[in-house]
Amino acid sequence: MRLVNRFLAALLSVALIALAVLIVIEVVANRTTHEYAAVRWHSAYEWMNRTIWQAGSVRAASIVLLVVGLGLLVLELKRPRPRRLQIAANKNIDAAYTRRGVVATLRSSVTDVDGITSAAVKLSRRRARVRAVASAQDAKVAAQLREPARAAAQDRLDALRLKNAPKLTVHVAHRSH
Amino acid sequence: MHADRSNRAALIVLAVLLSAVGALGVATSYGLFGSAVEHESLLDNGFARFVGRNGEWLWVVVAVLGLLVAAFALRWLLTILFSTDRTATIRIRTDGPGRTELASGALADAVSAEIDSYRGVDAARTRVTGDPQDARLVVIVTVEDSADLPGLVGRIEEQALAHARTALDNPSLPITLDLSVATTQSSRVS
Repeated sequence: MRLVNRFLAALLSVALIALAVLIVIEVVANRTTHEYAAVRWHSAYEWMNRTIWQAGSVRAASIVLLVVGLGLLVLELKRPRPRRLQIAANKNIDAAYTRRGVVATLRSSVTDVDGITSAAVKLSRRRARVRAVASAQDAKVAAQLREPARAAAQDRLDALRLKNAPKLTVHVAHRSH
Repeated sequence: MHADRSNRAALIVLAVLLSAVGALGVATSYGLFGSAVEHESLLDNGFARFVGRNGEWLWVVVAVLGLLVAAFALRWLLTILFSTDRTATIRIRTDGPGRTELASGALADAVSAEIDSYRGVDAARTRVTGDPQDARLVVIVTVEDSADLPGLVGRIEEQALAHARTALDNPSLPITLDLSVATTQSSRVS
């Protein structure tokens, strides 16, 4: 999100610079020559003078602005996923595992269990969801692997000694035919 | 990066402005302010009339504000593109009248090398952020998945990071330690 914000902020600042410089150029040009310099703002002024609020183009532009504005607002106000999960009992040092690190170690703990071929982990502040796939095509065999997989993941999570450990849920699916 | 909070704040302001203008346009064009208004032209309102009446001085003010906005936006852009939170030196506490400074790269290299030598560590990177007199050590360590993680964390804290604090004679040196786990097992033998 920080990278997206940096990109959007760079775009915004460039747009602001361009707009501000354009305004200055047009004001100076209008004062000195009574003509436009780069933008035919006279025709824009005439278009705005003859266009009513009910016009389709005005409605479409307003809806687009509203949707983009609300979308950006939701994106910025949404609480981001944690980048790091703090380790408990480190009063002197701000120590933490990266989110990717926790995901990687949980995934490997589950794939180390015999009979499990792959696993995907989703990690938020409060929950760690592991979805594993068993090598067996039989659903009963896959269900039997759930407890060993959960125990392995929980052991690994406990070993990390996180300050606020997420609640773990593990699902094991059978391999599709 | 210093600009991250400013970026978010500016984008929130932009989002609020876009939403407000869009909502105003939608409300006006669908007759929420009366059916007469929706049939009026975009410039048939008090604000446009005010601009028309006071154009002589108003556009000069707008141009001056434009210059200020351009200068501010340029500074913001340069901060986004080139600023860093790193410091090149660390000031060592001394009682005498002189000033002693340590190149932060030397400390960072020493800390990284020590951590890198530990069994179970795949890679270590260290940088020094903040001001020379108020520096913070930021250590990023990639550990092997098979490593004894609590033991390794304890060793890093009690040895490498403690050595850094001792070297700077600053037992309360702020330290951030980020541990990542290598997804593929390292072939390195230590």
